[in-house]
Amino acid sequence: MIHPVDTILSLVLLSVLFSFGTSRLPKLIIVVGFQGIVVSIVPFFIGHDMTPGGIVFTLVTFFIRGILIPMSIYIAIKKKAIQRKVAPIVGYHASLLFGLGLIVAATYISRQLDIVSISDYKLLLPTAISLLVTGMFLLMTRRNAIAMVLGYIIMENGIYLVGTTFSVRALRIVEFGILLDVLAGVMIMTVILQNIKQTFDDVDTAHLRTLKE
Amino acid sequence: MFESIILWFFSIAIAPFFSAVILKIKAFFGGRKGPPLLINYYTLIKLFKKGSVYSNSTTLVFKLGPIISLGTAITVLMFLPIAGRPPMFSFHGDVIFVLYIMGLGRFFTIAAAMDTASPFEGMGAAREAYFPIICEAATFMILIFFYRLTGELQLSSYFTGNNTMAIWKLAGAPVLFIVISFFIILLTESSRVPVDDPATHLELTMIHEVMVLDHSGPDLSLIELGSFCKLFFYSTLISRLILPFDFNIPIIGYGVYLMGLILVYVAVGIIESIVARYRMDQVPQFVLTSFALAFFATIITLEFIK
Repeated sequence: MIHPVDTILSLVLLSVLFSFGTSRLPKLIIVVGFQGIVVSIVPFFIGHDMTPGGIVFTLVTFFIRGILIPMSIYIAIKKKAIQRKVAPIVGYHASLLFGLGLIVAATYISRQLDIVSISDYKLLLPTAISLLVTGMFLLMTRRNAIAMVLGYIIMENGIYLVGTTFSVRALRIVEFGILLDVLAGVMIMTVILQNIKQTFDDVDTAHLRTLKE
Repeated sequence: MFESIILWFFSIAIAPFFSAVILKIKAFFGGRKGPPLLINYYTLIKLFKKGSVYSNSTTLVFKLGPIISLGTAITVLMFLPIAGRPPMFSFHGDVIFVLYIMGLGRFFTIAAAMDTASPFEGMGAAREAYFPIICEAATFMILIFFYRLTGELQLSSYFTGNNTMAIWKLAGAPVLFIVISFFIILLTESSRVPVDDPATHLELTMIHEVMVLDHSGPDLSLIELGSFCKLFFYSTLISRLILPFDFNIPIIGYGVYLMGLILVYVAVGIIESIVARYRMDQVPQFVLTSFALAFFATIITLEFIK
């Protein structure tokens, strides 16, 4: 019997593959938004004690992660007419194969870890690990600064999922603090992006090497 | 047994009709009336009446190509469980046999294309060899998936009677990925639009069509019939997967099966109407998607079904 959480998490895993294979920024943003939404509603399903405060926190997380962050990046792209290609260093095919290997590895590792408190949700830990590594991979192998920001957010989603995984009963205020950090980070990044765009007329980070005092 | 032989003949006879459905759908999207639904039969008969022209530079391989490609296509249909009924032949491991029979057909098409010594045909042959390689990986991944669920290596144990429904019940969501993956394989193997455009006649962009440029008359009709049968094979599998219901009354079963078939062909037609064909270097990525989906579905099922 497949748990509903696992069904939506399998879609997240699929979106991981999609984010490896896609070359367009808007699609990547949609993927990030989708992951944010799923990651933030997972506590609804596995939270054993849903206090009113917890529900409010989850809803706010949902709003920030799923709507606010992706929208702000999308608007940044729209306004500044930034190039829509992600400019990969590692090609799409290689990335896709890496993604497949990653999912296998994540499944294997999480089986080795064998955390009892979440053994009912078989895909929770694999998804979390995959998201973490996916974010890192996108950060490393895409030259477009927006794609890097998106990679960072994907990684953050993974961290959040790991957090909910390991500490089902942890204080939500901690998570919330992290979330605000991320939000501030994204805002700063968009500002910096606009500066890069103004200076170089492009958001390719390879240009940054030419900066001199 | 008797029923399956009749079904086999029926499937060969009806395959051209369904391919015409695609043309109708495309015409509908283009705002045209489109050719009659029996157009493919007319074309086949017309081609059969014609004589053949053979280039001086070709050898026996060239004449063998069309015959073998049709032969393999209809052999494969013998192993196909149509409408959930048992197929003519079925044995342990017939899936792999079927896959390689199809590979044989492709090999001879490629060999015949190379035999003409036309540079364009060589180009088409290279592409035809390249894309199905990835397809084969995807097909084997799907095979592993089915093997994991049923523990059998037989087409009939996946697609007859209650078996398909059992697979759905065992692993619902992953099967959905398998269906999409299968559909991509269908588009690639039978050279439909996002991969290859059957209507184009510009050598640089053709894949399958360019390989059969030098065939004429009856030979061409054999190749056409073969490709209709191939499309029919994949469509039948998908139709069975999307409508896995089993009925005690055969008539309803056939009706549902035909409905599924039409659904698949209409889907192909719609995709062909609204999607432009991919640039040549993006095609492998598209085909790789099918492999990724199948692989993914397999991993997920490994996790769930112990």
